[in-house]
Amino acid sequence: MSTLVGTGALGQRALREAWRTPEALFPTLFIPLFFLVVNVGQAGKIFPSDSTDFLQGQGYAAFQLPATLLLAASFGGSAMFLVEDIEGGYFDKLRAAPVSRTSIVLGRLYAEAVKGAGIAALVVLLSLPFDVRVATGVGGFLLLIVLTAIWSVAFSAFLQLVALRTRSAAATQSGSMLFFPLLFLTPNFVPRDLLTRPMEIAATLNPVTYVMEGMRALVLDDGWAKVGIGFAVAAVICAAMVALNVRTIRNYD
Amino acid sequence: MSDHLVAQRRPGESTTASYAVEAEGLVKQYKSRSGTVDAVRGVDLRVATGEVFGFLGPNGAGKSTTVRMLTTLLSITAGTARVAGVDVAADPDRARRSMGVALQEAGLDVRQTGRELLVLQARLFGFAAKAAADRAAELLTLVGLDDAADRRIKGYSGGMKRRLDLASALVHEPEVLFLDEPTTGLDPASRLTVWDEVRRINRNGTTVFLTTQYLEEADQLCDRLAIIDGGLIVREGTPQRLKDELRDRLGLDAGPTLDEVFLDATGRTRTKAAGDVQEVSA
Ligand SMILES: Nc1ncnc2c1ncn2[C@@H]1O[C@H](COP(=O)(O)OP(=O)(O)OP(=O)(O)O)[C@@H](O)[C@H]1O
Ligand SMILES: [Mg+2]
Repeated sequence: MSTLVGTGALGQRALREAWRTPEALFPTLFIPLFFLVVNVGQAGKIFPSDSTDFLQGQGYAAFQLPATLLLAASFGGSAMFLVEDIEGGYFDKLRAAPVSRTSIVLGRLYAEAVKGAGIAALVVLLSLPFDVRVATGVGGFLLLIVLTAIWSVAFSAFLQLVALRTRSAAATQSGSMLFFPLLFLTPNFVPRDLLTRPMEIAATLNPVTYVMEGMRALVLDDGWAKVGIGFAVAAVICAAMVALNVRTIRNYD
Repeated sequence: MSDHLVAQRRPGESTTASYAVEAEGLVKQYKSRSGTVDAVRGVDLRVATGEVFGFLGPNGAGKSTTVRMLTTLLSITAGTARVAGVDVAADPDRARRSMGVALQEAGLDVRQTGRELLVLQARLFGFAAKAAADRAAELLTLVGLDDAADRRIKGYSGGMKRRLDLASALVHEPEVLFLDEPTTGLDPASRLTVWDEVRRINRNGTTVFLTTQYLEEADQLCDRLAIIDGGLIVREGTPQRLKDELRDRLGLDAGPTLDEVFLDATGRTRTKAAGDVQEVSA
């Protein structure tokens, strides 16, 4: 059977599963919005929009939105469900079916993309009352959603890799802690050139920086080159993670 | 329970292979940080098409490991295995199409309903959406889960889960059905239901390869059986042959039970010479 049909069928199942566990979905939306409100409340006054160049005329919430989106996309709930499948034996049932190994990996990731896009759209909509506007327009809004979805697939794929390699819920949970350095060793409060030197070096080495800057360029209309770099970095990480997943599942014993 | 739901297939009809399952020199070595485990140490098996074949052995003997190698779930360290004539290592996807698998831990996704699980399973075996829905409905009736079909599997009893697992192994009308301890943990009535189901599936031409801890079950269901111990086959034959052999060897007056054959074979009560492999052909 084709990889596409298998991925679709398994993706539908993963979406059903997500829908039926709202308790897992809720923090994905709530925690990022919480940080948006708290961060803007704490730092908003330091960066008034009329005297802060890097805000391009918008409020501080607009500057914070990319970090919020990336946080929402870095929960990777699918990996915990995958561990459950492995522990409960359902994963073996899937492996015993004549379906391409790639679709077993892609099924859940497809669902992550849909979930990531949905949550991103919701976060952007909920940030509108904070005077956030996506300055690049509807097209920019859609690109922002797509970029968030790509990142959520990349991060979920990384966690799925941990799940497939360790088959342990504890290890997978620990793996998700990677979002701390990834999301906070970034120019998430101020642009990169305002960071202290060590922080700037760390942020420059961190690939998430470029995804964040790409998103920010979409929100603040800060140059399409940054958008392109953001997409390229996210896509490369995503492709590498998916390839590693497929290789791992092929050799899974 | 109606018979027409599983395609009528006479033994040997749909396969060119003379054996439904054929293993030669099968070896599995688990390697881990704490060392290697020789779980299966050179197993030869031949299961004729149309048979119910029982695979017995004490805990840790290597039953599940063997089944997992035969069903493409585990890599084979050495040796070869063919199911329905297909080399499981060389062409796993083709082998998967001819086999149904219900493993020791009834692997089910508890967040789906029984119907959703079967529809998905059928889709994975290449059924179109409508055909998958029809097949799921047939199977739910077949295993008596009509009433629970649209409830989440989370709320199913152990017996219901087993029956659903069995149904999911049957979606594509496999030539060979592998059941790893299909009745472990079931009450006596549920066990009998599964036995009836296995007999019915087998009547329709499906070869059944089952492992069990229950000698009674092997005696009732199996045409032939093999006993594995420490990763090696120590007895093989029809239940009657194995009993006769033990009676003759020990000069008993009454015929021994299969339990006694098992205990003798695995050296659990009587002394057993290491590597004492007795082949009793059926
Ligand atoms: N993943 C694994 N890694 C290392 N050793 C393993 C693994 N799986 C099984 N073993 C070992 O291999 C041997 C055979 O195990 P197996 O599960 O095949 O036995 P079994 O006959 O199915 O037993 P049971 O009746 O308890 O189900 C045992 O010694 C077991 O500890
Ligand atoms: Mg076992």
